[in-house]
Amino acid sequence: MPSRIFVTGLGFISGLGNNVQENLNSLLNLRSNIGPIRHIDTNLKHELAVSEVSMTSDELMRDAGLPDDSAYSRNALLGIIAAKEAFSHAKLDKHPGLNIGLISGTTVGGMDECEKYYQDFLTNDSKNRFIETYDCADSTEKIADHLGLKGFMTTISTACSSAANSIGFAARMMKAGKLDCAVAGGTESLTRFHLNGFNALKILDKFPCRPFDATRNGINLGEGAAYLVLETEETNQKTGNPVLCELVGYGNACEAFHQTASSPDGAGAYLAMKKALDMSGETPDAIDYINAHGTGTDNNDLSEGRAIEKLFTGKIPHVSSTKPFTGHMTSAAGSAEAIISILGMQQGIIWPNMNFSNPMPELKFQPAGEIIRGVDIKLVMSNSFGFGGNDSTLIFKKHGVH
Amino acid sequence: MEKLITAYTYIGEGKVVVNKQLIFYQEKIATFAEFIKALYKQEQISYPKFYKMDSLSKLGFMCAELLLRHEKPGRFKPGSLAVVLANSSSSLETDLTYQDSIKNRSAYFPSPSVFVYTLANIVIGEICIRHSLKGENAFLVSEKFNPRQLLDHVSDLLDNNRAGACICGWVEILGNTFKAMVALVEKENDGTLKTSFGSMPFTEASLNELMNLTEKSIWKN
Repeated sequence: MPSRIFVTGLGFISGLGNNVQENLNSLLNLRSNIGPIRHIDTNLKHELAVSEVSMTSDELMRDAGLPDDSAYSRNALLGIIAAKEAFSHAKLDKHPGLNIGLISGTTVGGMDECEKYYQDFLTNDSKNRFIETYDCADSTEKIADHLGLKGFMTTISTACSSAANSIGFAARMMKAGKLDCAVAGGTESLTRFHLNGFNALKILDKFPCRPFDATRNGINLGEGAAYLVLETEETNQKTGNPVLCELVGYGNACEAFHQTASSPDGAGAYLAMKKALDMSGETPDAIDYINAHGTGTDNNDLSEGRAIEKLFTGKIPHVSSTKPFTGHMTSAAGSAEAIISILGMQQGIIWPNMNFSNPMPELKFQPAGEIIRGVDIKLVMSNSFGFGGNDSTLIFKKHGVH
Repeated sequence: MEKLITAYTYIGEGKVVVNKQLIFYQEKIATFAEFIKALYKQEQISYPKFYKMDSLSKLGFMCAELLLRHEKPGRFKPGSLAVVLANSSSSLETDLTYQDSIKNRSAYFPSPSVFVYTLANIVIGEICIRHSLKGENAFLVSEKFNPRQLLDHVSDLLDNNRAGACICGWVEILGNTFKAMVALVEKENDGTLKTSFGSMPFTEASLNELMNLTEKSIWKN
């Protein structure tokens, strides 16, 4: 059974940029693009702050050279861009004969187009081509088509932990010998439906979000897509790809506390981090950085903070939430933040938890308020927690360290 | 390693049977809502969240409730009890209710409290929340009751020690037509498992028998 899983390709589109390099530049320049809604036609337009990918869906269609009469959800369009970037990064097209899987997380599916045309579907044939895009798996199939992948593919919808679960599941498939390598991550576009849904839960902030701040007041939703190419050690010997880092641990736990809320003591968050840490064989002291889920809601940051304090009984590593940069990319958050964590590891940088100024009275630790450069980061932990306490943690290790 | 069915709940044709005992019977069922509420009241269950559940969740919840109510707390280690349920109509009953609320432009009232039940596996979530279950779970949708599929899935969990025991079965409802059979499956390690209804191996034949309970396999109170 192959035991090691290497990361050899990255692809990333978000409000910060249309590829990994643009995202990295924005992060290095501490540039967030959280602001008013530009693309979505909603009466919440002036009520909420979000992070949108700069291009409209029409522009994305034109950019990809797709005919006007084809039916693509924004999820598929964003997913294709990021998955293609990761695929090319690892030059997977140069290695015929590999058994490549595609595992993609999304929960919004094709709601963006369907909610525009829903009322017309019964009467307007010209829009009916969008009906099939509604299913979450449609975006995964379209991505597979564009990459020329015909093997195993599946779609994971566990809300905000979807992309992290995709990466964990891909690793399991590879360890079980079912895949040589995988393109794994997630894609999520903003839609009226989930803006309204989160708004109804009263967990959206109209100002830039302030994770782990005593005055935090909710989430800024974001959109985008992010994919990693994972290879087993054996496959990597064939491809000869440079290893960016190693996926050494992943854990998923469901805390069975409430349909949407997390338990105040962070039982699920603790379990997910503990499972991932146990798999990695590392001690809590060895973790250099935690990219927290840190949504900026009362509930999440308290339960996640308590879970971190429970697991890291000695020194608490650097902690930050990068959602003030990207917004909460929901089903793409897990892979987006995995990439942000990996970029930080490569650059020796602890990303700042922007907009933080007031420590939470309930917690003993504070997140990294400023960017910290020149840190030797060997192990990073990235948390992604979904509704109902479907909590997942990934741990990446710098390649070649023991 | 032998696996045994150590408890079961059957709900069908107006009968509710728990471990061979007929505990409830309604000859004429007006609606599922009335039927399940009468059962809930008779059994004196106190769990106010029950009232906000959709029909599929109420059905699964009651099966699990009757299955586990006499278990000693702590008999199953946290995270060791899995749940694998199946049906043929998925969450269609609630999907239709939700669709009704958005089909007219003039009467467009989507309700988040209905929407959250438009997934079949929410019934598992409700059961897990009620009994603090943190083990593996899966909801399978197949056209007909497929004992082989349940047997394979549950056996895999138990044989590979991904679960110590498993709640498994069928929970089907569409309109006022409903049927459920939920069983507790455990590993027989040292010959100490005891049931009130004799020894029942976890096999396709047993699952089929429980899905089609005959008069002679029911004790009447």
